[in-house]
Amino acid sequence: MPENPYLNVLVTAALTVVFIIVTSYLLGALARWVMKARGASLKVQENTFAGYFFAAPWIVGFLIFVVVPLGFSLYWSFTDYRVTSRDPANWIGLENYTNLLFKDDSFRASIVNTLYLTVIGLPLQMAAALFLAVMLNQKMRGERVFRMGFYLPVILGFNTAVLLCWRLMLNTGTGIINQLIRSVSLSFPPFGYLTRGLIFIQEITTAFFLGINSGKFSLMTKVIEAGFPAANRVPLWVQSPLWTKMSVILLMVWGCGAMMLIFLAGLNNIPKELHEAAEVDGATSWQRFWRISFPLLTPYIFYNLVVGLISSLQIFEPIFVLYRDNQPIVSSAISMVYYLWQKSFSHFEIGYGSAISWVILVIILVVTVVQFKLQDRWVTYDIY
Amino acid sequence: MKKYWPILKSVSLYAILTGSTVFMSFPLFWMISSSLKTLEETNSPGIVWIPANPTFQAYIDIFQNQDFLRAYFNSVFYVTLALAGTLISIAAVAYAFSRIEWPGRNVVFFLMLATMMIPPQALIVPQYVFFNKLNWVGTFNPIIIPGYFAGGAAMIFLLRQAMSQIPKELDESAFVDGANHLQIWWEIVLPLVKAPMATVATFLFVGAWNSLLTPLMYLQTVELYTLPVYVSTLYNINNTVQQWPTIMTAAVLTTIPLIILFFFAQRFILESVVVSGLKG
Repeated sequence: MPENPYLNVLVTAALTVVFIIVTSYLLGALARWVMKARGASLKVQENTFAGYFFAAPWIVGFLIFVVVPLGFSLYWSFTDYRVTSRDPANWIGLENYTNLLFKDDSFRASIVNTLYLTVIGLPLQMAAALFLAVMLNQKMRGERVFRMGFYLPVILGFNTAVLLCWRLMLNTGTGIINQLIRSVSLSFPPFGYLTRGLIFIQEITTAFFLGINSGKFSLMTKVIEAGFPAANRVPLWVQSPLWTKMSVILLMVWGCGAMMLIFLAGLNNIPKELHEAAEVDGATSWQRFWRISFPLLTPYIFYNLVVGLISSLQIFEPIFVLYRDNQPIVSSAISMVYYLWQKSFSHFEIGYGSAISWVILVIILVVTVVQFKLQDRWVTYDIY
Repeated sequence: MKKYWPILKSVSLYAILTGSTVFMSFPLFWMISSSLKTLEETNSPGIVWIPANPTFQAYIDIFQNQDFLRAYFNSVFYVTLALAGTLISIAAVAYAFSRIEWPGRNVVFFLMLATMMIPPQALIVPQYVFFNKLNWVGTFNPIIIPGYFAGGAAMIFLLRQAMSQIPKELDESAFVDGANHLQIWWEIVLPLVKAPMATVATFLFVGAWNSLLTPLMYLQTVELYTLPVYVSTLYNINNTVQQWPTIMTAAVLTTIPLIILFFFAQRFILESVVVSGLKG
């Protein structure tokens, strides 16, 4: 292999292409041979060859990059394997799992934090997306510009560059967001009371979650005893353990454009006649939304919920960029995947990391399956 | 009163929409504005919307920063190479799922959809060990090569939906004329799904350009860093004063390709997603 990194990967890529073509041909030929042995017609044999030939890149990739790794990680999760040590992995049974589930405080913290993002962040994100979609669906001039504006954050995504810009904006003292809150509260006092009220509610909720984390609710009593926030209080976004998760939620709401597009698609698919008929019968637009649009949107809500849950359970980048190495507050912010990364790649504990990934995998599978089971209760698929 | 109701309604509608758009695009504005500020201005307690004397010093500096320029080249190189292979393999697999009848197709298709539930992070640990055994850690290979195996079930699904809508008669008449599947795929089907291909390419580009976790794991030296990894090193939590103008300049230059791409591709994305109700 050439030393130059660029040449190296070019050569590897070329070899990979050859490998894929050869395996595709072999897989196709094998499938054709099987069909021939079964006595299928020539046409079926040809289609079988073509089908497996074209689908082979995915099938082969699935075996190499999904099935085999999953098998290995399942095995390693029962061992004390470390990538740095020369010793072979020792079978330690369920020890990784029992440590993880019953002894590891950091892992429990990461689960509670992720749960917080899911239980509080995801509904806010979906509500914002639905609200914007309904607003955009009013069919007025400039819709396109607004739609572009709302989708922009999805493209910028959780790029480090954008996250760092948020980090700058969220600075407690000099960040633009707090500066704005301060200056608006000064010139318009009711806004000040509103933000302070929100700060109070937010801090109590987070303190409660942090209490679940540590088993001690002293922080929550402290917050409640401190009483209603003083006039000059502003959110302590990326500075206080009480606010770290809310900052991430703010980012989630900011990136609601992808969900909004799905809702917009759903709203477009609602037959106009339904609304027209209801309007003739004298239904207000509020009633029409809840009685017509909302039930028909439930499949789209379901889709967003499934996709959104999976992605909020996997959140990593914002936490890495905003809180990495920030010792006093990182434990209030770590997500499950961040913890997985930390264990596997800062400490190279592959066995333990594998156990974490299996726990995450099982959590996501269970949540998704439960949602599919529950969908009959609230998702309407029939229009009429 | 009743007369003014529609006007009031549309005024408040526009106010809400404009407010939300400002909120959504504000980080972009702030990034640009901060990149033109001095260090004192970025850390000033008062609001500096637009610096009174914009300075381009940070831009001049960053274009002399070898590490940044190399990271930029690395990102372009990585994204181009990954995109080419991923796009073609996805197009091939989508063709198999939409235009050919073969035994086992439904099973394989169902498996593919099921993989969407597996979080990629559950696979990174064993994949890391696997690539480590291949001596691929510290090279670009682990972040590029897996994509060549049609990485991205959601993208395959999106393209498959588009290909299914092409009338079957087209292939059949081509078969009668003696064309084979490769020719039909490349010469008939692919030109008809240009817009969905553009959408998929955009999603893949954005995903690769923004990706942080895998490059961080595998590109262990600064010579190989892609932009997100390099930019994340600019912000050092141990510093009491962050060099915000420099960081924001790097951020602006990182997001420019995304903005340009979005400007050209938003038409395809917004239409195709709204029409098909799919998400990338």
